[in-house]
Amino acid sequence: MRAIMAVNTRILKAEFEYFTPDNFHKALQLLDQYGPDVKVIAGGTDLLIQMKKEVISPRYLINIMKISDMSFIKVENGWLRIGAATKWREVVEFCAKDRKYAALYEASSSVGKVQVRNMGTVGGNLCTASPAADSAPALLVFNSRVKLANMQGERILNLKDFFKGVNVTAMASNEIMTEIQIPSIQNGMGSAFMKTTRVGADISKINCAVAVERQGDLCTSCRIGIGAVAPVPMRIQEAERIVVGKRVDTSLVEEMGQKAIEEIKPITDIRSTTEYRRQVATILLKDVFWKAWHRAGGGEG
Amino acid sequence: MKNQTIDLTVNGEKHEILVEPNALLVNVLRDELGLTGTKYGCGTGQCAACTVLVNGESVLSCLTLAVAVDEADIVTIEGLDQPDGSLDPVQEAFLDHGAIQCGFCTPGMAMMGRDLLNKNPDPSESEIREHIKGNLCRCTGYTSIVRAIKSCSQGREPQAKL
Repeated sequence: MRAIMAVNTRILKAEFEYFTPDNFHKALQLLDQYGPDVKVIAGGTDLLIQMKKEVISPRYLINIMKISDMSFIKVENGWLRIGAATKWREVVEFCAKDRKYAALYEASSSVGKVQVRNMGTVGGNLCTASPAADSAPALLVFNSRVKLANMQGERILNLKDFFKGVNVTAMASNEIMTEIQIPSIQNGMGSAFMKTTRVGADISKINCAVAVERQGDLCTSCRIGIGAVAPVPMRIQEAERIVVGKRVDTSLVEEMGQKAIEEIKPITDIRSTTEYRRQVATILLKDVFWKAWHRAGGGEG
Repeated sequence: MKNQTIDLTVNGEKHEILVEPNALLVNVLRDELGLTGTKYGCGTGQCAACTVLVNGESVLSCLTLAVAVDEADIVTIEGLDQPDGSLDPVQEAFLDHGAIQCGFCTPGMAMMGRDLLNKNPDPSESEIREHIKGNLCRCTGYTSIVRAIKSCSQGREPQAKL
């Protein structure tokens, strides 16, 4: 059993060399040189807590916040491109202007608190790979991709293949996430995001996003992203299949909610129990579904 | 660890400080510059007692490396004073509305009040509550804190004072 020792969070005991490259190439060189002993630091809202608690002890830190071409958010050829070092505040401001990104707007404006949105970045949220990362379900339902780079070149990965476990990603130790890409969204797609927390600005117990398209009562596509109910934020595709191609009514949505319970694998932890998460996940999913469904039908709210 | 020299403008005053890479902004402000108004609370981003403004944005100084804010413009609770030494209207309002009990959360709360009013001179009650959502007060003084900030907004009826 691990001895229970109070951690002094007032100071950061860990010692490390600190680099602030001003361009992307230098960052990649450093990563290549130091590999597994290095951690990229962006907002630091998660990394520094892990370091204070001595969960991780990197020997080198690379601050990427002074690299100007890693922070941007723009639409290009219909795709929404977000630089990995873009702060949440900027994502909230951008998405507030466009209802197409409703789920991402709701997710990003619910991240942490004002101060955390002023510090934390989209890439940081994904690379930390917390099962409860609020951006993940919303980005998953938009079929997002992430761009990773190292000295050898770049590769693009679907976000659903990026998460490998609690705090584990598909990224190699000499890779860095450079941007998040969201394919163009069809007019008429409705999306929504909701989460449950203990108190206002806490880590989510469960978070969930849905994106749907419909023709009248017929559901033509449905994607569900859900977090904090498994080791990784994930799509639950069996539940999605329940509704696609069918006329949507309350009993069908009920059936979808039941299927979701079979697909998720929640744990009991400090925030909730397995049983509670199962029950609430299905309720939350149904609420989010209906919200997205009404939006797809042109409804407000 | 290689120490680094950083340039900070704190409350309008320029400082050149030699820091270790693992020095946290909250400790540099308190221990190096003697600005003990900024409080260290939880150290893990939960309480926001350590909130300061960095380049005009509210951040948690206990989760900020000093080396990461090299060349930044920082405002702490001490910097809210007016040039003539009088208090900021937000600070006055906290006094007038009894929005202080033990006072530990007050610097962070006042910084968030100022931060919100800088961006939105006429916030609604729900906007105020959303803005200070991440700042914990364990004397449960939220109601008077919200009232104090609201009393500083433009175009509002004066609020009842204590």
